[in-house]
Amino acid sequence: MRLLVSLALVAYLAAVIVPPLAGPPPASGLAMAALQPLRPLVGALFLGHGYRFFAPNPGPGHSIQWTMKMADGSTRQGLIPDREADWPRLLYHRRFMISEKIAAFVPPPDAPAEVRRQSRGEWQPLVKDVAGHLLHRYGGAQVTLQMTEHYLPEPEEVIRSEQGGAEQGRDLVTPLGTYALAGTQSLPGTSLPRTSLPGESPMETLNR
Amino acid sequence: MTAAEPSRRGSWLGDWLDAWNTFWFTPADPLPLALVRIFAGALLTWASFVWWLDAEAFFSHEGWQRPENVWRMNDQPWQWSWYFAAGSAGMARMLAGITLVAAVMLALGIATPLAAIVSLVGLISAVNRAPLNVFGLDDTLGMLLIAVAAGPSGAVLSIDRLLAPDIAADRPSVRANLSLRLIQVHLCVVYLFSGCGKLLGASWWEGTALWGAAANVQYRTLDLTWLASQPWLINALTLSTLWWEIAYATLIWPRLTRRLFLAMAVPVHLGIGLAMGMMEFGLAMLAANLAFVPADVLRRLLRPLLSRSARTPSHRA
Repeated sequence: MRLLVSLALVAYLAAVIVPPLAGPPPASGLAMAALQPLRPLVGALFLGHGYRFFAPNPGPGHSIQWTMKMADGSTRQGLIPDREADWPRLLYHRRFMISEKIAAFVPPPDAPAEVRRQSRGEWQPLVKDVAGHLLHRYGGAQVTLQMTEHYLPEPEEVIRSEQGGAEQGRDLVTPLGTYALAGTQSLPGTSLPRTSLPGESPMETLNR
Repeated sequence: MTAAEPSRRGSWLGDWLDAWNTFWFTPADPLPLALVRIFAGALLTWASFVWWLDAEAFFSHEGWQRPENVWRMNDQPWQWSWYFAAGSAGMARMLAGITLVAAVMLALGIATPLAAIVSLVGLISAVNRAPLNVFGLDDTLGMLLIAVAAGPSGAVLSIDRLLAPDIAADRPSVRANLSLRLIQVHLCVVYLFSGCGKLLGASWWEGTALWGAAANVQYRTLDLTWLASQPWLINALTLSTLWWEIAYATLIWPRLTRRLFLAMAVPVHLGIGLAMGMMEFGLAMLAANLAFVPADVLRRLLRPLLSRSARTPSHRA
């Protein structure tokens, strides 16, 4: 019995230790290979964590602004997360994670075109689902989203600002596209807002 | 603790086996595990309630992420979730409600073994269905619930114990020790990788990383921008946090340094909780640290509560 328990312990400990060795990058090929036979256990028991809290550096925060055109031509706007509306705080944090996790895939607007093109395959499926959820939730006709990276001021900038000095840096805004549900008619008299991503169609259609 | 096995000293391998057996198979008081159960159950109750508040958005087919997209992101078929079967908002809400009820039962110690398993299944289902909404709180709750489900976490401080008094129930047991050891080792892994990950960042070496956290408006619940004029304090807080995380895995074990490391866990985690709006995460990490608090200390602190609910187990003297 003790032998069986010991074997189970070794397997469990491996499933705890190997995932943070195997990711996030940088990670060795050996660790990634060692993870392969452990995937069933790691996946089933929710052990696939990197534990890189605020590492390698605490970065800027992100939010997603959305603007929705309703069927009657009116406009509705919102924020993910919304500090005013998302309460309790844990609900705010759950929604905050949406913008933070999508932001990890979105390069800045001034990144090389090739980088932006390649990263689109990563973030756009996530953004499409977020857009689809918003359209379903609020009954809108189309929604435009943009990611804001909130400027993280240096201590000196905060001190200067408190003393009435120079303004702090600007937030970085990246368009994420305009989306409409499949079968939705174009709104009469409205022009679809274009995103600034080169080569992108003005509106993506969602099949939900 | 005393060795559970006769000594096989005399060989290097025998010493290793002795050490392994002593570490994992020495019976331990279940009280620390029961306290971990109460805190983990209470935190899961709150977390489940918040999931339940917006269950349609988190778990239904019309949610933040469609199931087929989540299926693509996850490592399938291993990352299962009962929410994949929940097409409607009502079904999603009902499944979230099941986790909520199980978590309440776990915190109170009602049908504890069953409640622990359903709580764990509910937590894993939630995080695997809504991976975009998950953060450190969920990682920590998972770690705690696995140990709580594996051990006799309802042996003491539970409704189960009140309804069916059992003098032997809270005696030291190998299962209690196994569960506490799982949390202890896992917690060391968490801090070690968290600390090592920080060593890749210049701001942690420069001692300025805590400013990055304090100045982040999205996280902020306490205005700490006054730290801007206290650079040395930022350095001290950053470097002490970094040192504590890296050294935890080794210095939590010796009696001489254990108190210091447990004491430091309180300001670190409560500080993150208060200043960055992640109190649930901070409390979950403190609950995990309870696994390192000696049972006799906890028994002294909880004597009035324990004397009312229990008989006189032999190890309590």
